[in-house]
This record gives sequence, structure tokens and C-alpha cells, in this order.
Amino acid sequence: MDGEIPLPPPRRIRHRSPAHATSHAGTGSGSVASSFHKSRRLSRFDDRSSQPSSEPPLFSSDDIPASGVENYHAPVSTGAGRKRRYRGTWWGEQVIDPKRKRADFKEKRHVDSGVWMGSDESAAESFLSSEDGSAWGEDLLKTALNLRATAKSAAAPASLPAQSKTAFKRPEEPAEHRLARTVVADCLEKGQDSIDLGNLHLRTIPSGLLQPLQHLTKLPTVGEAPVSENVFTSLQPFLRIFLPNNSLSLLHHELFELADLKVLSVRNNKLTEISPTIRRLTALQVLNVSVNRLSYLPWELLWLVQQGELKHLTARPNSFLAIEEAQIAAWSHRSESKSDKPSQDPLQFREYEGSPPAEAWAPIHIATGPTKWLNMEGNPTSDNLSPSTIKTPAESSGATSAPSFREIALRAVSKLPYLEHVSDAELAEYPAMVVPLLRQAREVRIAGGQPCSVCGQEYVIPRTEWLEWWDCSPCENGMKGPRSSGEKLRPLPFRRFGCSVHCVLGS
Amino acid sequence: MAQSTQSEYVTLVSCDGFEFIIPRSAACISGTIRRMLDPSSNFSEAVTGRCVLNDMTCVIDREWIRTTRSGVLVTRFTDVGSFAFFSAVVLEKVCEYFCYNEKHKDQANVPDMDVPAELCLELLMAADYLDT
Repeated sequence: MDGEIPLPPPRRIRHRSPAHATSHAGTGSGSVASSFHKSRRLSRFDDRSSQPSSEPPLFSSDDIPASGVENYHAPVSTGAGRKRRYRGTWWGEQVIDPKRKRADFKEKRHVDSGVWMGSDESAAESFLSSEDGSAWGEDLLKTALNLRATAKSAAAPASLPAQSKTAFKRPEEPAEHRLARTVVADCLEKGQDSIDLGNLHLRTIPSGLLQPLQHLTKLPTVGEAPVSENVFTSLQPFLRIFLPNNSLSLLHHELFELADLKVLSVRNNKLTEISPTIRRLTALQVLNVSVNRLSYLPWELLWLVQQGELKHLTARPNSFLAIEEAQIAAWSHRSESKSDKPSQDPLQFREYEGSPPAEAWAPIHIATGPTKWLNMEGNPTSDNLSPSTIKTPAESSGATSAPSFREIALRAVSKLPYLEHVSDAELAEYPAMVVPLLRQAREVRIAGGQPCSVCGQEYVIPRTEWLEWWDCSPCENGMKGPRSSGEKLRPLPFRRFGCSVHCVLGS
Repeated sequence: MAQSTQSEYVTLVSCDGFEFIIPRSAACISGTIRRMLDPSSNFSEAVTGRCVLNDMTCVIDREWIRTTRSGVLVTRFTDVGSFAFFSAVVLEKVCEYFCYNEKHKDQANVPDMDVPAELCLELLMAADYLDT
């Protein structure tokens, strides 16, 4: 820098034989540590630390008595009140010339201290704004190219920031997604727990749209001076999401991560299937899936009705498979056979009038469709529809109740860390035969596991599939009341999966 | 082929030369091994009860070439992009599965088999090849 620092007293030369040094290095870490301690202790005396590793530090003199906090605003007398500044080590201190130019200090401020402060605007700007970024890139290039004034170096800094700009630029989002995001952000801001995303022409739910709603908190309503009792309400949100009149064909998995969701409406969309992942919405109370293209509901929804909170399910109209047209393997509740099967007659509820039993509210199992056996890759086996295989499990093809080796490997794959972040392009690098299997494992992982509806075992590839018809009319008419006697049962189809060939109903 | 010539056990040989001797019924869970050991096919494996799982490929053309190498018949598929993944580590897990499957064939609640995470992709390809 500016002044020469006076050198410390000359260092004493310590003689150490190389053999001694290597023996130290060769022994264990304990001896290394002890030798380190020794050298530290010695350093006091032979001034090892005398060589300043960085530029000499800057000190100021002790506080002048009148500079305390008490008289902070007191005018500082320029002469005697000013602190003295020293530069350099304690043995060779130098009084700094008080008449140094202000510009020098300014320059000094820009030296990187290695500590980034929130208020440090200069650093933040250089990272964020593109003008500074280009200047920074230019600087870097200049040093790298050693100031070669070629035409190349003049062109390169211009292209570098342009490249980085395009790399960080996100693809333009459709207008409806942006609108949906503003609606969600507005609800989060105001603490509204009713999110209305209807009539937005959404084809898909963009990722990251619904995730922040997990942390939605209601704002306390601060009223006028006379505080009444009803001011004290719960701040727990009663989360409601309305997505009617859109063009959704698939529900995003983020929707099923909202464990607090109470009301969900996807009325008038283009849904063809509802994912079994809906079982994760354990707090769901009202669900409207009417006016869609569903031919069946997931069996997990029935579980939500039976075990969960779901009280109001609006499923009709939909293109449900009619029970009259469907193939039925077993009837468990036949409304037509009143006379010959009185024990299974729906009219039995007449006897329980006055105190309705749980069954008057609960869904009633009407019928079960034929079981479809799926092969080890989850595709229907060829001899599916022949009546002989419907009765007997696929023993002939060597299937056992133990999971297949593919399934075991896939279960291990689905537990791999970071599987959900693997993109399709990365998956394509694997041999073509396992790519669909890996994709399936990734979907299961994203859905947060997939327990078998019969045995509860986590699985990846279903091996059995069948439809069940259940009557949920007390749920459907919106808690109007229990089944009245003689009421016509209106069963809904539910699709159910099993994880092994033995996971079928009645096993 | 007469039933008497079939031994109760078969030998599976990994590409690095390790041999695993397991019951024939357990090994025949795998469709590929079952076809290898099928007595009507008259493959040498069916005669010797010894399967050398050497170079496994994604097979399109299932034409088998056989070469005699020190008395052991080696099965290969005609395919260019062959890669060996039946190392002893993988084959050991495969044999473990065969026995696991044999044990839990008719049980209702089957415990999960433990598979190390670093092997699961190789095992998945092995499972696809072995058709289990």
C-alpha cells in the first residue's frame, strides 16, 4: 500500500533436521496436534505470526471521554476530539495522514470483506441487474484474456450476458395460469380460505399453484370497539377450493397434498379419472365431481366416506358404468329379491326406525364386478375374459401371492431419494424395457405411496382390478337424512386395485 | 425326455464365475429359466441342469448360439449391444428371491424382501430379463 511497514525483529532461524520432520508427519494425528500446539506456543517468542498475511489492519485510538452514547449528538470538535487512526501492526504502527482524500476511503469500502450484508446494495445489484452483470462479465473476460485487444474480446462480452439472459428466462406462462396465480396469491395475502378458480379455462393445474395454500393462515377480524363474543374465531382455515367450469382432464398431485382441504369442487370439467391419491385428503368434507367424464370413482373415495370426514359427495351426472349393463360376479345386496332373501333386503331398515343404526348412513355394498388379473407389468392378461380364469386365480401361469421380482425391485426404486426429480429425458437413458416401469415407480413416489386396498401393502404395479358398486345415497343427498325404508338404492361404481393375485375380495 | 434324468437342483452361474445351486422348482419361477430348463426344448441346460447367465441382452431375436467351453455349455443371444449384469451380487439377490418366492407362495401376508437401493436398477433389468 502507501507506506512501508517497518519489518519486525528478524526471525530466529530454527534448525530442524528433515528426519525429525518426517517422523512427525509419519505418526498419528495426536502427535501432529501436539506438534501444532508446540509451534503455537513457540510462535510467541520467535514471532512467526509477525508476517501479516493480509494488508495491515487499521486501528483507532481509545474512546475520547465525551464520545459516549449520552452525548451522541454533541458536535464533534474537529481538532482534539477526533480519534487518531493507526495503520499497521502494534510494533510498527503509523499514524495515518488525516488529510487523506475522501476518494481513497471510498475505494477502500469496495474491497470485499467476505461478509455479505443485507444492506450491501452494491453486491446485490451486480448480481441481479443485467447492466452490472455484463460489466462484471467484461471484467472477468478482460482478466482472463490478459487485456488482449482483439476483435474477439470485444465481441465476446456482448454475447455472454445475452446467453445468460436467455438461460434464466422462463418460458411464457399462459394467461389463465397467470390469472390463477394472482387469485391464489391474493387469497394468501388476504387470508381468505375460499379459493375460487372457476371459469378460468384451465386445462391443467400448473405446478406450484396450490402448494403455498398449505401455509394459508386466516387473518384475525379486528372489529369495532365493543368486542363481542364472535370476534374470537378460529384462525384455522376452512380451506375450500373451487375449480368449476374449467377444462381439467387431470388433477395435479399438489391438490392431494393439501391435507387440510375441506371442500373441493371440480364440477363441469373433463376429468376421466380421479387418482386414488385422493385418499390423502383426509379432512375432505364436501366433494363435487359432477358433470365430468368419469366412468368410475376410485375406491379410496369410498374409504373417505366410510372412515374419513367426507359427508357430501356429488357424483352425478357422470358417464358412470350402469349396473344394469355391467358384468356382475357377485351380488351382496339385491334390491329386486325382496321375497326370497329377506335378510339382505334394504327394507330391513324399517325395523330400526327411531334410532337409526350406523348402516342407515353408511354406504352399502351392492355388487362386485369380475376381477381382472393383470400381469407382472400391470397389463391385462390375455385370457382375461374367459369364464374359467375368472373363477380360479391365475395359478396356471405360475403366479403366487408373493410379489414378483420386478415388483420387489420397483418398490426399492420407488424409495430411492430424488426419484421425483428425475425428468423424462433422464429416464430415457435407461434400457427401453424398464423405462415404463420406472415411470410408474416415479408416479407412485410423487403420489406419496400407494397402499393396496386389500392388504395395505405398498405396491407399484397392481395385479388385480375390479369394480364394486356401493350405494352412497345418504352422502349424495347432502346429509338430508338416513336411508328411508323402501328407498331405491342408486349404486355408484368404484374401481379397486389389489397388489397381488391373492388380494381379491373375500380373501 | 425322461423325468429321471432331471436333477432336483440346478446350478446358476454368474458372469464372473460364481455358482449358485438352488432347487429346480424355485428357479422355474423365472419364465426364462423355465424355458431354458424345459426338457422338451432339448437345450443343453435342460440336460446338465446348469445355466450360465453370461451376457444378457435386450432380446429381440431369440436365436441361441451355443459354444462348448470347457465342458460347460454357454448360452448367448445374438444381439450386438450386449451387457453383462448378472454379476455374482445380482445373481445372489435373484436366488434369494427365488427362495423367498418359494417360501411365501401361498401365504396371505407376505413380508417385503429387502433390496439394497444401489442394486435396485440392476435387479429391475434382471427381473425383466428373467421374466419374473
